[in-house]
Amino acid sequence: MAPQPLDKVVEFILSPHIFAPLIYPGLLAAMLVLLTLIWAERKMTAKVQLRYGPLYVLKPLGGIIQLIADAIKFMFQEPILPRKADKWVFVLAPVTMMAFTIIPFAFIPAAPGFVGVDLEYSLPLVLSLSALVPPLILATSWAANNKFTLLGGVREAFMMVAYETSLFIAAFAIATYYGTLSLSKIVEAQTVPGIVLNPIAAAIFFVAMLMTASKLPYDIVEGEQEIVAGPFTEYSGILYMLVMGASYMELYVLSLVFVELFLGGWKPVIPALASIHPAFQGIALFIKAYLVLLFAVFLRSVYARYRLDQALEIGWKKLFPLSLISVVWSLILLVITGGA
Amino acid sequence: MALLDKIREALEPLGAKVEEVRPGYISVSVDAGNMRKAAQLLFSLGFDHVVSVEGVDWIKDKEIEVAYHAASYEPELHGVIVKLSTRIPRDKPELDTLIEVWPSALYPERETWEMLGIVFRGHPELKRLLLPPDYQGPPPLRKDYRVVEEGFIVDLTRKQ
Amino acid sequence: MTSPGSSELRGNPYFWYRLMGRDEEGYDVYELFIGPQHPASGHMRIIVRLDGDIIVDAEPDIGYVHRTMEKLAEGREYLKNIPLFERATIIDAANITWGYVRAVEQLLGLEAPPRAEYLRTLLAEINRIASHLYGFGIAGIMLNHSTMFMWAFGDREVWVQLAEDLTGARLTHSYIIPGGVRRNLPQDFKEKALKAIRYMEKRLQDYERIFVKNPVIIARYVDVGVIKAEEAKRLGIVGPNLRAAGVRYDARIAEEYGAYPELDFEIPTREEGDAMARLLVRIEEIKQSMSMIKQILDKIPDGPIFHEKYYRMLPPKLKEFVEQTGRLKLPGAFIRLKPEPGEAVARVEMGHGEVFYHIVSDGGIKPYRVRIVTPAFRNVVLYRYLTRGARFMDLPAIYGSIDYFPPEGDR
Repeated sequence: MAPQPLDKVVEFILSPHIFAPLIYPGLLAAMLVLLTLIWAERKMTAKVQLRYGPLYVLKPLGGIIQLIADAIKFMFQEPILPRKADKWVFVLAPVTMMAFTIIPFAFIPAAPGFVGVDLEYSLPLVLSLSALVPPLILATSWAANNKFTLLGGVREAFMMVAYETSLFIAAFAIATYYGTLSLSKIVEAQTVPGIVLNPIAAAIFFVAMLMTASKLPYDIVEGEQEIVAGPFTEYSGILYMLVMGASYMELYVLSLVFVELFLGGWKPVIPALASIHPAFQGIALFIKAYLVLLFAVFLRSVYARYRLDQALEIGWKKLFPLSLISVVWSLILLVITGGA
Repeated sequence: MALLDKIREALEPLGAKVEEVRPGYISVSVDAGNMRKAAQLLFSLGFDHVVSVEGVDWIKDKEIEVAYHAASYEPELHGVIVKLSTRIPRDKPELDTLIEVWPSALYPERETWEMLGIVFRGHPELKRLLLPPDYQGPPPLRKDYRVVEEGFIVDLTRKQ
Repeated sequence: MTSPGSSELRGNPYFWYRLMGRDEEGYDVYELFIGPQHPASGHMRIIVRLDGDIIVDAEPDIGYVHRTMEKLAEGREYLKNIPLFERATIIDAANITWGYVRAVEQLLGLEAPPRAEYLRTLLAEINRIASHLYGFGIAGIMLNHSTMFMWAFGDREVWVQLAEDLTGARLTHSYIIPGGVRRNLPQDFKEKALKAIRYMEKRLQDYERIFVKNPVIIARYVDVGVIKAEEAKRLGIVGPNLRAAGVRYDARIAEEYGAYPELDFEIPTREEGDAMARLLVRIEEIKQSMSMIKQILDKIPDGPIFHEKYYRMLPPKLKEFVEQTGRLKLPGAFIRLKPEPGEAVARVEMGHGEVFYHIVSDGGIKPYRVRIVTPAFRNVVLYRYLTRGARFMDLPAIYGSIDYFPPEGDR
């Protein structure tokens, strides 16, 4: 006799409200992305640089679980709290940072009609939640009470306003065309991928994404050659793992949003997969997002780091005017085609 | 040699002793008081930078020889080094700085102060450069500074 | 200036004002100690004083790897100083010892046979390429361009191997000795060298694509850390840093030593004097060095590799060994070289610039005084000159572009 409560539990877990934030596209998938992406980044860079990269942890698969080994090392490392640091902020900021990168998964639709909380305004909500991370980086830099972290914090403050504005405007430019701020409706409305309709907005969103996650050529905040590790100088052990992971998680969240806005989201849907579980219809979304991520991290082996003032110039003098143009372009499209 | 004659003509009124040690290596020695004038004359002859500032501790004569090796970037003076040197007493090693004439002497003078204890009057930053900031003891490049080298065999029976 | 973390400042509303202490010149400065453990180069500290994002002063605090070489040299025989001095610039060991050997040869009144001079020049040029590649790598990683770092260090290995084929040691060759060199040219050396040159020529094109013409590098390097010819002369700068400012000076043409007078090569110069110019001059010098290696291998004369006067001292058995293997055994008397009292100077162009030696001999078996001025020590003043007024993030760009090698500056 099948125990009735267990079915209920399984059903509860498989329901979008739990499955989406915790399993896919949420925590579990994010961890998988984190695990393989960092490995892939190191492997790709190594390929370009004529070396092996991670190798010895699970050698038959090319050291793919290197990050697990690293994580175990970080777990057992002593997290050092500087005596002069503001201890509460110092410890809580990375944890909160990680939380703010995970919460958006509840609002990002993963497959047709499959979303934790379906909101009419999911796009601004997701973007705002990820925009909460930079202030927390500022908090860490202040709390660590160190000259290098302070400089890193100042850099983050400058960068934050430079890219965040353009990121939002570019996202809204494409949303204007579709006439909705709900991510699921935007995907449904996309017959032609957004990148074709509004390539300027797509480019701006991608560059701003790199700046947000401080990936090369914009890894200015963590300029290790001048300021050690920027705001994260004093972190060690599991706290360091959190701050490092948060930037990758943010990149993952934004690349999901990027795919939903510009690359057609989960389309094309393979109906056969829907019979297993509705979340499987989102497999295309995951693959696209992963490719975007791979491209973003591959830039590391090509580019060096821009200077702070140059990055700010790019942010304010190029991205910002271009993002306004992309809004105008969307409006023109709207008038010509009569909307999606 | 034309260059040697030119230097003789310019510097001998100061009481300088000019000689050619080897081809392309001219030695000029003057009194400590005339160093700056001699340096200016050499500079006007085209020796625009200092390769090295150094001291040689002639402990038997109780003197330190301070030498500036000047050279030039001008093509016609390539391959010529002029040593401008003076001897000052070991127990009162003081000299005017020449960094106004040759700014390239800034760091070498600082090093010479540190290594041989020669005080360059007017040098803006005579502070430790290569040695640890808390180094105490005699200037190490003087001959009475003994280097204690650890041998291969350490005599354990010897009393401290 | 009070440190930002001191307890009296906690909770003080004027924290920022106090943090930004004032220095003597009335600047509001933020003092930052970078180093001595640096992710890219290390072994030195730069004390940076910042006014916002602008560097007011960057003071190089060197000496972390000072090994008292001048003092140690006074306590060793002439020959034993060669392995000591090559440790000042381990990446350019042939050039730094050649200067010393030239000075000792002047004191002894020796001259190396022509074949030995060619072999010295050969190793010197191989070392110069390796040294420049090392500099590239550092310059790359200073801008977080890890690909350039890995490529340059990987390709440097080619030249290190070549030097090993010639001398038997990867870095500390101790190859150049008073009166000649210690090994003859190996038989298959020419093919190996030509292969390395072909490889490097291809790689230089790759470098150009990924680094020199990279828009980010152009943005970071052009018009950064500018020094003009007049200032470079006044400050006594040497090496590629000087030639990038438009001064055509090179110890190889100034001193006319080794086989250089017989070789056909150019001294690359540029007028701009910025970080990009320094980079381009180094690339051009690598090309020139490769062309010189080709010429040397074509032109190298036959003959002895060691001075006749000392070669005669070898017992017949050893002479036979030397003839067969091409590996020199030194006569026992060689360790007690006794030059006449006197002094000698010598200059040699290293990868980083010109090295200067002044040896004073009192007629003993040990030098009375040895003065070494390395190119890095002469270029250290550039930190102060180039960084003043630059943006803070230019510091690593400038640091990388002047190719400073701390062990060489500290000696």
